Amino acid sequence: MTAVRSQLDPFLVGAVAKRLVSTLNEQQATLVNTAFSTIVRESLDLACGVFDTRGEMVAQSASGTPGHINAMATGVHHFLARFPAEQLAPGDVLITNDPWMTTGQLHDITIATPVFRAERLVALFASTCHAADIGGRGLSGEAREVYEEGLLIPPMKLVRAGAVNEDLVELIRGNVRTPDETIGDVYAQAAANATGARSLLSLLDELHLDGIDEIGAEIIDRSERAMREAIAALPDGVHTAEVSNDGFDEPVTLRVTITIDGDDVRLDFDGSSGQSQFGINNVLNYTRAYASFALKAAVAPDVPHNAGSFRPVEIVAPEGSILNCRPPAAVASRHLIGHMLPSLVFAALAPVLPERLLAGSADSLWATLWRGVDAGGDSFAQTLFHAGGVGARAMKDGLSTVGFPTGVGAVATEVVEALTPLLNRSRTLRTDSAGPGWWRGGLGQVVEMECRGQRSWNLSALVDRTRFPAQGAAGGLLGAPGELTLDGDWLPTKRLVALDRHACVTVRTPGGGGWGDPLLRDPARVLADVVDGYVSLLQARKVYGVAIDYVGAADARVRLPQDYVVDQAETARLRGDEGSLG
Amino acid sequence: MTRPTTTGSPAAAAQAGSRGYRIGVDIGGTFTDLTLADEHGVVAIGKVLTTPDEPARAIGEVIGEVLARTSVPAADVEGVVHGTTLVTNAIIERKGAVTALLTTAGFRDVVEMGTERRYELYDLMIELPKPLVPRHLRLEVRERMLADGTVERALDEDEVAAIARELEARGVEALGIAFLHSYANPQHERAAAAVVAQAAPKLRVGLSSDVAPEIREYERASTTLANVYVQDRVARYLSDLEERIDGLGVTGSLFVMLSNGGIATVETAKRRPIGLLESGPAAGALAAAAIGGDQGHADLLSFDMGGTTAKLCMIEDGRPLISTGFEVDRVYRLKAGSGLPIKTPVVDMIEIGVGGGSIARIDALGLLKVGPDSAGSQPGPVCYGQGGVEPTVTDADLVLGYLNPGYFLGGAMMLDVEAAREAIRERIAEPLGVSVEQAAWGIHRAVNEDMANAARVHAVERGREPSLLPLYAFGGAGPVHAAGVARAADVRHVVAPTGAGVLSSAGFLTAPLTFDFVRSHAAKVADLDRATVDGIFAELEARGGELLVGSGVAPEDVVHERSAEMRYLGQGFEIRVPVPDADDDWPSSLLRAFEDAYLRLYGRQGPPVPVEVLNWRLVSSGPRPGLSLRLKPDAGVADRGAKGERPAYFGEWVDTPVYARYGLRPGDTAEGPAIVEERESTLIVPPDAAFTVADNLSLVVDLKPSLA
Repeated sequence: MTAVRSQLDPFLVGAVAKRLVSTLNEQQATLVNTAFSTIVRESLDLACGVFDTRGEMVAQSASGTPGHINAMATGVHHFLARFPAEQLAPGDVLITNDPWMTTGQLHDITIATPVFRAERLVALFASTCHAADIGGRGLSGEAREVYEEGLLIPPMKLVRAGAVNEDLVELIRGNVRTPDETIGDVYAQAAANATGARSLLSLLDELHLDGIDEIGAEIIDRSERAMREAIAALPDGVHTAEVSNDGFDEPVTLRVTITIDGDDVRLDFDGSSGQSQFGINNVLNYTRAYASFALKAAVAPDVPHNAGSFRPVEIVAPEGSILNCRPPAAVASRHLIGHMLPSLVFAALAPVLPERLLAGSADSLWATLWRGVDAGGDSFAQTLFHAGGVGARAMKDGLSTVGFPTGVGAVATEVVEALTPLLNRSRTLRTDSAGPGWWRGGLGQVVEMECRGQRSWNLSALVDRTRFPAQGAAGGLLGAPGELTLDGDWLPTKRLVALDRHACVTVRTPGGGGWGDPLLRDPARVLADVVDGYVSLLQARKVYGVAIDYVGAADARVRLPQDYVVDQAETARLRGDEGSLG
Repeated sequence: MTRPTTTGSPAAAAQAGSRGYRIGVDIGGTFTDLTLADEHGVVAIGKVLTTPDEPARAIGEVIGEVLARTSVPAADVEGVVHGTTLVTNAIIERKGAVTALLTTAGFRDVVEMGTERRYELYDLMIELPKPLVPRHLRLEVRERMLADGTVERALDEDEVAAIARELEARGVEALGIAFLHSYANPQHERAAAAVVAQAAPKLRVGLSSDVAPEIREYERASTTLANVYVQDRVARYLSDLEERIDGLGVTGSLFVMLSNGGIATVETAKRRPIGLLESGPAAGALAAAAIGGDQGHADLLSFDMGGTTAKLCMIEDGRPLISTGFEVDRVYRLKAGSGLPIKTPVVDMIEIGVGGGSIARIDALGLLKVGPDSAGSQPGPVCYGQGGVEPTVTDADLVLGYLNPGYFLGGAMMLDVEAAREAIRERIAEPLGVSVEQAAWGIHRAVNEDMANAARVHAVERGREPSLLPLYAFGGAGPVHAAGVARAADVRHVVAPTGAGVLSSAGFLTAPLTFDFVRSHAAKVADLDRATVDGIFAELEARGGELLVGSGVAPEDVVHERSAEMRYLGQGFEIRVPVPDADDDWPSSLLRAFEDAYLRLYGRQGPPVPVEVLNWRLVSSGPRPGLSLRLKPDAGVADRGAKGERPAYFGEWVDTPVYARYGLRPGDTAEGPAIVEERESTLIVPPDAAFTVADNLSLVVDLKPSLA
């Protein structure tokens, strides 16, 4: 890069950069506080951003979910292509959920608000939120075309110069199952954008600025330089990795070739499976979101997200592949594939950055959609998320039951049971599910679910890694694959399953992969894992090569650390280093 | 400097022979502070070094010292109010009882699985909070309650007894019991407690339905464990303290400061010690509220900036805002989400990881970044000369001429200006291509902007407008930065109260005796059964009244405040709404109260969706002491005389008059720039401002509107 050193006051640039982030936090606070769908509020499935007049993203809110990163930014470019500055007026609010223009799924609605100062466009605020419902089949993998998945809203004006487009609102209301929530969230997004806009205008007043274009460009350029420096610090080379997962009807292969060349990096997903007949396809925007999330987390976590930090990164996938699907492909459950990308990118980069990455994780967020009728005859629908294990790190065990790469969290059992007739029989850590290693992966969980309704109920489980478990790294072993069963029999995934009213469904989420050779794990750590039941005596012996005897009372309920002892001689034999005993 | 011809009347003259003295005493990390007040105001303050090995010892010492110095007879002290960080420390240092957890079968891992949320998206190395009880001490028993409080499966009492006996035999000291839906029906938890009391009488038991009877099993269980984990330690400490105070001849009662801005009797504190968390900062906010009231400001923003962090709190109608919970023991870079959740009413405060010791660096973008890394007190800022090499906020403030190198902590420590300049030159000024002064000025302003941004977001989250509120500055670094923060936040007035060094201990004396109650009873407003709600409040008010009267409050002084946590059906966050008195219009009046609160918070109404209530809350309190925190003239530290002037940097070097704070008199006024020095802090008055000394000796800075 040959950028001339800027003449702008670095303190002013720093002050504006921080203030813009603070402005986005105000926007996000308003959105979280006023949104309706649980997914937005409790799970933070959202993103907020501020853009200059060319539609370049200057800053993005700190939390939110990676799937919306720069996918929303592309959406703003599409808005400006459809409505150039001269066609925008104060009081306008724009809307779209076109999957190919934004985040790859009809449920995600993007709202953008142009900000004017003295009749001149100075910026845009945008937010993307996951709607409670968008009509069609609902969240499912079963659609064959996007038309079955709900209502598509092309880039349009939701509000024209302060006047709400009532026809559009009625059209949306008439096409979704939850009109109040879906429209309520749209209004919450518009209100949040307005909060951001107000704060930006007072920033401009206080700092005596005409707009953010000049300083925004400086922030973007500095971010690009920082990203380039981080990339240039890596050795040049070409790295590939491949992972497989369940897919819908047949396994899907994802393949990446990462080329590091000076201060540029190219991620090419050539060699990945072709687009699916079912709703698990990714638009290129969504592929780019998760691939660039992984790259940035690996290479430059401290560089802020904006148009500049993505300039040195080229992400391509063959058109018509599952990572760059053509319309009208079905896309509603695209996260099942998109969430696999960070672990894939890490696997490819492992030779370059061995200390900074994760082993493979459970990856796809396990989402289960439960529907039925309660005892009073009212229908209910509840989406639950169950996290699996995250991959081990080079110096730490992986995290248990935490979403990765998603930032989405779980809903409390008591809240679920207060809202629905669902009865959660258990929610516990899954013994032996962590991929063994010098550092082990995170554990998955076991959830048992019943329903107290009087009639049959049904389940649609958007889950993966039931056949292809999380990979280990540096000699670490696989995590346990996930399982979805009814009385011990496997249930089909990614499609609607009718359940008997006495059914008890068991969900076992996958564990994270291990890092390094399990035979090198400190026996004291293996012992501690056995005491706490994360690892069984059997796995300790067979996989970790640590022989542990339980010496407490056979019928004891309370089993303390002193009730277990490591058999040193047997351990040495199992680990093949008897010689060291001399 | 202009001085009025008549000096303001001194604060209330000493009342010979007046009884009714009260003592507030706060144990801080370094000092144990004391405030002695009578019914008119502060009589004396005291300060001794904290005795970490035996914290009650310093309290005994400082009480004895101040009573001797003022010749106040111990028997005339009616009450001692105390705040302690013991609970926080016991949790952070994991020095509580050997504790076990008993849960509904299938749910022992709830306290470890938490929210299942990664609180930091890009950092691959994050860590999760470690539960206070390891998995091998988390046991399960067959029982099941449903969300509506009906029993689905009876409690297996034999199993409870067997577990309890084993736990006791194996050396476990405390047991938290947290069953699903116990907020709706505590019957199983209570039955289990009775069984344990019989089978293992030495086990200390805590029930989630007592400690935090609210929906959401993770937060309730986490709070229950924290409570029972520290309970024995707190009980022993408070008993010891009571004995020491008795030993000094003080016959008045001992009270304990709570995180919610109230005080409690020792007996209550022993029962629910988790309510003592964060009581020091809560008292600071109370003191700010009391001083603000004296100054005619019912609404204000308190700003307390110390060595490693700053705290901001909004005061409304003379009282700090309260929230329903917070996190303790954040294990990863102080990040929200990395701590244990505690559900207890707490003064709503934001903590910003920037203080005097915060380190300034150039970040990945080549821009200046201040904090959250801190040089702490060891090695401390470069200018301390104790081996610090990275420039800090204090170094910048010194280079700018704001701090007096020969009068830091009243001259107790000499500051090395040259070393500070050199560090800023090398690490900040040269990389940025600016002068040392510009770099220091940049650090100073960056801190102010961080505070202002945090204040703005905090206010928006609560539907408030920060720019209208006066800023009350406390702490060592607060008055140095307050005017700059005010400028960055578009605030017009800054107040620097006197006696800020012992603020918390004074705040204790303005707190009323308070009991908090919560009941979960979820229902749509339209479906609310009036009799049920009346019954809940009648029961809670009876308990509150009984506890207050039992603690010596006159029945006619008891005040109950009812509120409800409400939301639009399906929303994930509740807002707290005052519950109107039952009238014929009820529950429509409750609905309107919710809509008013919602409108105020978010500036608009929600869509036409039913409204539901989750929790019902009651705060029962005794009378609020009408204490003035005016320091009597003889209560302060003698330190008189003007100090001439020195150059200070406000975008350019300006010769700036320096005043000694204790030489100023009410009505004194001066144009900025000015520097006012006292032992614990320094007030900076920028050129586009003026200050006045108020009757209560607070310094009031008025910032002129910036020339836009």
